[in-house]
Amino acid sequence: MFSPLILVQILWTSLATTSCFVLFALAFALVLKVNRVFNFAQAAIMTVAFYAAFTAVARGGAPGWAGLLAALAGAAFMAVALQVLGFRALQRRRASSMFVFIFTLIVSELISYVAMLLFGTWPATIFPSLFWPVTMVGGIAVSQWDMLALGATAVALIATFAFLHLSRIGQAMTAVADNPDLAAFYGIDRNRAQLAAMVLAGLINGLAMFLYGTRAQVQPTSAIELLLFAIAATIIGGIGNLGGAVVTAVVLGLVQNASVLFIPSEWQGFLLYFFLFLAIVLFPRGVHLPVRKRPFRTVAAAARRPEEPAGG
Amino acid sequence: MPVSLEVRGLSKRFGGIVVADAIDLELRAGRIVGLIGPNGAGKTSFFNLVSGVVRPDSGTVALEGRDLTGMKAHRRARLGLGRTWQSLRLFPSLSVLYNLLIGARHYPGERLATLILEHGRVHRAEKAGRQRALEVLQRTGLDGFAHREVGSVPFGQQKLIGVARALMNEPRCLLLDEPMAGVEGQAYRTIQSLVRTLAAEGISVCVVEHNVAFIRDLCDEGVFMFAGRVLARGTVESLIADRRLTELYFGT
Amino acid sequence: MEYLYTIAILMALNVILASSFNFVIGYGGLISIAHPVFYAIGAYGSALLARDGGVPVLLAIPAGALIALAASVLVALPSVRISGDYLLIGSIGVQLGILEAIKNVGWTGGAGGLTNIPALLRPGTDHGVYVALVVALAVLSVLLLHWITRSGYGRAMSAMRDDELAFAALGRNAVAMKVAIFALGCGLAGLAGGLYAHYFRFLAPAQFDILQSAALLTMVVVGGMRSTFGPILGAIVLEVLPQAITFLDLPAGLLGPMQGILFTGLVLVFMFIRPQGLIAAGSVWRGRALEEGHAGQS
Repeated sequence: MFSPLILVQILWTSLATTSCFVLFALAFALVLKVNRVFNFAQAAIMTVAFYAAFTAVARGGAPGWAGLLAALAGAAFMAVALQVLGFRALQRRRASSMFVFIFTLIVSELISYVAMLLFGTWPATIFPSLFWPVTMVGGIAVSQWDMLALGATAVALIATFAFLHLSRIGQAMTAVADNPDLAAFYGIDRNRAQLAAMVLAGLINGLAMFLYGTRAQVQPTSAIELLLFAIAATIIGGIGNLGGAVVTAVVLGLVQNASVLFIPSEWQGFLLYFFLFLAIVLFPRGVHLPVRKRPFRTVAAAARRPEEPAGG
Repeated sequence: MPVSLEVRGLSKRFGGIVVADAIDLELRAGRIVGLIGPNGAGKTSFFNLVSGVVRPDSGTVALEGRDLTGMKAHRRARLGLGRTWQSLRLFPSLSVLYNLLIGARHYPGERLATLILEHGRVHRAEKAGRQRALEVLQRTGLDGFAHREVGSVPFGQQKLIGVARALMNEPRCLLLDEPMAGVEGQAYRTIQSLVRTLAAEGISVCVVEHNVAFIRDLCDEGVFMFAGRVLARGTVESLIADRRLTELYFGT
Repeated sequence: MEYLYTIAILMALNVILASSFNFVIGYGGLISIAHPVFYAIGAYGSALLARDGGVPVLLAIPAGALIALAASVLVALPSVRISGDYLLIGSIGVQLGILEAIKNVGWTGGAGGLTNIPALLRPGTDHGVYVALVVALAVLSVLLLHWITRSGYGRAMSAMRDDELAFAALGRNAVAMKVAIFALGCGLAGLAGGLYAHYFRFLAPAQFDILQSAALLTMVVVGGMRSTFGPILGAIVLEVLPQAITFLDLPAGLLGPMQGILFTGLVLVFMFIRPQGLIAAGSVWRGRALEEGHAGQS
């Protein structure tokens, strides 16, 4: 009933639309992994990023690249403030995880109310028009935004993973995520690693929110709903597994965007809650961060009886 | 003597770490077995697997012929499997007496509907539980501490509270995780004689302990664990005398 | 007079909501933000049963509470089974998802709201009767929760919050307990919903949105988590403060955000400056002197 061309078109557009969501999920999963916080205040970071870009471009008439810089700066600033004024203080006080939860939630709500006060509740966009020039590639409509978003997302993903694996501070972040006590033993500053994770996640959010805001309308409350997608992807993808979160986000995004084919559009937003529900019911085993396997394999192999089949 | 606890092929790995590797172990009623082995040998993990706190990858656990495999921790406890914790895990917000009452057997006040609809029954159970708690406190020499906050009680007595709390459930098998670490003097002797009496009453006891003197004085038998496996079983003397085990223990 | 009645009813409803929410998050240690949604389920359930189902209002209100209770069990069972964190995430999904559904479905009146809800009282009855009814139910709810938290059940809740593993290893079923706590708390929220629906006779999804979650959290955190009177004080303060803001004559567009900032800002201030709230609950559980007091009984 659909021609293959239309299917390819939908897939392509869905993939492009999904790119921002992938970055939101990456940022959420990163903070969860390194800082061990379900950071609902990520919505606050996203809101600040969007309205920073909005103020610079739509209100101030600055060019697009300045808007991106404003989004990055706003997001990074918010991330640092959260970590230094919020999480660090709560950590020092040994606040319960419930307390930290409430804190992140309340911060994201506070920021959305502040945004409502300053910018009103109406949907806004960074550029006056959401339409981007389209070129036809083999019968598929490819907009400049698609290319921009996919390109930027790919670069951001590669840069993030390279940073985590190659840079000293990135490796420190992974070490802290794996075992905070052991990391402290080897002289890795947990505070610095967590701050770095927040800043990195902030920058990813800034980029993603800028991309999102050049293509879709944003309200002060949008970020909380966008964040739910990231949470669902992180849970299904396996907590502590950044790659898993990214891949799951791609799949979920494709399914959600392509769902126009199967279900009425007003229920499309509902799919997200369905995903979340599925994630909780079917993929609940994520709370305990998985143990890194490699370093211990040898120990285990040495201890195992030779005749014992693997997996016991 | 009849078999009390029967463990067959219990295995568990976390990622690449094997904490239990096809463990077979029997505890007999009235006997005290000491689990020894170096740190990380899997002794506490064994307790966690048997008590249902951690889910094993495979293997079965039975208590007095009743299969416990797959049961949640609270159901195993109700069927008579009691345990204590290396890190005590007392309830700091409750007094000593109330800590014990949490362990009371047949406590109907646990169901919200029963609490509201059958207040009289709950009230009687509360009285009975309190009576039993006072008896257990007396027996463990803690009667002077009943209304103290657990945090304000000396450490040796805190260890005793952990044991007393487990006794409230009238266990048939008792797993004691390092009951003696950091304990000396009167509390030491009380725990020692208490464990002996409990065994004499027909309870099977399994003790994890680094204090070799305590194990030798108390246990009828020793089990040596290493890397999640049972390496040897016999009298404590024979295990201590085994050069191979001593080397593993001290990690040479 | 009508204005004062309205304030009194809203205050009493907020007392039920805040106390039951305190029961869930404070005593139960169950983090949920979906309390307003169970309030909504009770309100819509009762309103629809009475309006379209022809059920007498007096029966519809408890039925609405039971629907909210049943819904809360459905939410709690899958998430509580695993870990507390999942209840929070699940509750966010439920809070946003069910409101989304109410907005999109025809039979709830959609985003425009549900109108013509039958009133509990016959026309012409003094509304003071309704005030008395709601206040009486609020007092009963508070007493019930206070009684539970001071009973052996409350003692067990305290132990469960202290150490869930040790609790389970003593033969206590933490999962069943959490589901029961969540169900009772949400059922009471549903009761408040029914009481709301048949007095104000109009419901709209916006009344139950995440602003309500923030307001309830504020009542509990500012008032004092895990104390009986804290949430009551919180509910009264939070009902009076926004009313005071209304007198400032702000434009309607600013009023909502200002209230939101006030709620969330207050929580943050209290979290960092006085985390125990206005009325601090002690760290040690104190129950009724049950046995001593009843020595002659049974």
